[in-house]
Formats: sequence, C-alpha cells, structure tokens
Amino acid sequence: MSTRRWHDHDWRLIHAEPQAPTLHMALDDLMLDDVSAGRCRPTLRVWEWAGPAVVMGRFQSLRNEVDAEAAARHGIEVVRRISGGGAMFIEPGNTITYSIVAPLTLVDGMSFEQAYAFMDEWVIEALATLGIEAWYQPLNDITSSVGKIAGAAQARRGNAVLHHVTMAYDIDAVRMLEVLRVGREKLSDKGTTSAQKRVDPLRSQTGMSRSAVIQRMIETFRKLHGTLQPDVLSLEEITRAKVLAREKFATPEWTALLP
Amino acid sequence: MHGEYKVPGGKLVVVDFVVIDGRLANMQVSGDFFLEPPSALDTIDRALEGLPVESSDQEFATVVRTALGSTPQLFGITPEAVAVAVRRAIDARNRELDAGGFA
Repeated sequence: MSTRRWHDHDWRLIHAEPQAPTLHMALDDLMLDDVSAGRCRPTLRVWEWAGPAVVMGRFQSLRNEVDAEAAARHGIEVVRRISGGGAMFIEPGNTITYSIVAPLTLVDGMSFEQAYAFMDEWVIEALATLGIEAWYQPLNDITSSVGKIAGAAQARRGNAVLHHVTMAYDIDAVRMLEVLRVGREKLSDKGTTSAQKRVDPLRSQTGMSRSAVIQRMIETFRKLHGTLQPDVLSLEEITRAKVLAREKFATPEWTALLP
Repeated sequence: MHGEYKVPGGKLVVVDFVVIDGRLANMQVSGDFFLEPPSALDTIDRALEGLPVESSDQEFATVVRTALGSTPQLFGITPEAVAVAVRRAIDARNRELDAGGFA
C-alpha cells in the first residue's frame, strides 16, 4: 500500500530562501488550512532558517522548557509551533527541517503510530542510500545505531495532516543544553547519560554537506512518489503568512500560551 | 506545585498547580505529548481543577478520561500518566510540609 497513496497526489516542492522562525510557523499553519480546503496542492517544504530559534511543542510550558535568559543572551528566538512534541534547538545549518502537508486520505485507516512511520518511509530510504541504516522508533523518532537522527510531529486540522520533522545535521549540544531545560525525568527511560559536545549523526555518518543530503532526500522523494514539482510561494501565500506570523506566532500570548 | 512523569516509551507529562482550601487550582498540564484537537488540553485542565487533594490516583485518571470522552485523542501519555504526575506533585508537597513541621 505504501507508495500507491503517495502517487495519488501531484506533489509540490517548496525550498525557499532562509525565513524567520515565526514565518515558518505561519507557513505550516496556513498550508494546513489551504491543503484542507483544496486551495493548495500537497506539499513538501524544506526549511531554511534565517536565525537561531527554539521551537517549542504546542503543549509545552515555556518556563519548564526554555531558559529564556540564556536564549536572549545568545539572540535565540523562542517560538511555539502548532503541533505537539518536544522543543527543538535550531541554528542555521545545524538541522534539516521539512514539512509535509497532505490530505488526510494519505494516512486513512492508519493508527497514529503507523501514520508517523508511513510519512517518513521515504526518509528512511534516502538515509539508506547515504549508508545510514535508520529505522522508526515509535512514537515519533527516526533513529540509528549511532543514536537519534530526527524527531517528527503531526497536527491534523479539517481534511489535512501536517507532518514535520527536524533532523540533526550538526548540533552544538553544549549551546542546546544552555537554552533547553532537559529534565532528568524526561531522560529517565532513554539510558543515555554521556554528555556529548555535538549531535551530528548526519554530518558524521555521511561526510556530506547539508545541502547534498537535502538534495538526496528530494531525489528519493521524487523517485518513490512519482512527482515533486519545484515551485515557489505565491505572493499571496507570503503576504498571508507574514500577517499570521505577526498577529499570532510573534505574540507573547501565543508563545507563552502555556507559561 | 510541580510534578512530572515520563511514560516509558512514551512522552512526558508535567503538571503545575496550587492547592487552595485542599483543592487543586490553577492547573496547567503540559508536556511533549500529542493531543487532537489541541483545545482538549483545556478540557483536561478544567477536569482536574477543584478536585480534593486527597483524591486517589484512580479518581484523577477517571476524571480526565471521562472529561475527554471518546473524541479527543491523546498520544504518548494516558489519563493514568496525568494522574501519576499529579500524585508526584502532591507527594512532593507533603514531604515539604513534613520537613517544615507544618503537617
């Protein structure tokens, strides 16, 4: 069943210039509405970051997750996304982030757990072509023998599902732990205690540049799913996203929704 | 009051609240779990609000489960996991009260 459902759609690829964290939050939000309403084709969007950010999950508490003072000291913007899951630490070039926005029919009949694994099958395949044996670790991680590679989150609205993923390319773990409060309770079942200086599974395992890894991922998506037409955001999309970024995602009311 | 519980193989649930006149108040449930629709988080918070601090874990869990009903979907945690986090917060408070000689 796996590839046939993807072939039902004419996939659009968006890989724009670096954008502000709040604009990325807004683009996910409005594309979910647009795909749900049939105004926008199913899309794979690869993110480029204009600046460092902490991206919190929808249900996380700001003060429990983020050291706001440390974030401010390092010029790191703190934003909240529309999906659940955990906080991510982003610096331009340190991660590969992408969103898939699709009609719900893509994951029709699947459990939540199955839908996560299904929407990243192509990534597991892309990693395999790069020599990384990776697999899905329920609920929402892509992992490998050298450790966790990526974390996914989904949000559903209307007739559409958003599935977005952040993969660790070369993360400065020291900086990350300065701004993220990763409690002992959270790590209680992980079995990892060693203090790593870098979390760099993609860089160290492939020896390839970040852009080359992204290129391989795009090629793999296209090969497995039939189509992936490069496209650009329309002026109308950008304009709406900027308004949404300003009026929702940049506001303290949203960021501190759960103080 | 603050309590946390990481579901083995699942997600983290965090509760923050105060106790007023022996009842839970200003409840905030948070964590890295998933919940559809997102507005169901308020349903969970409201369900726990006002419960007597002496309630059993079972009672906390049942109240959350009943309030959610069958439509909202909770992934990575369960009503029982929320109850464990609440219990841990209450136990930590009781230990502090004991240590302070107020109990």
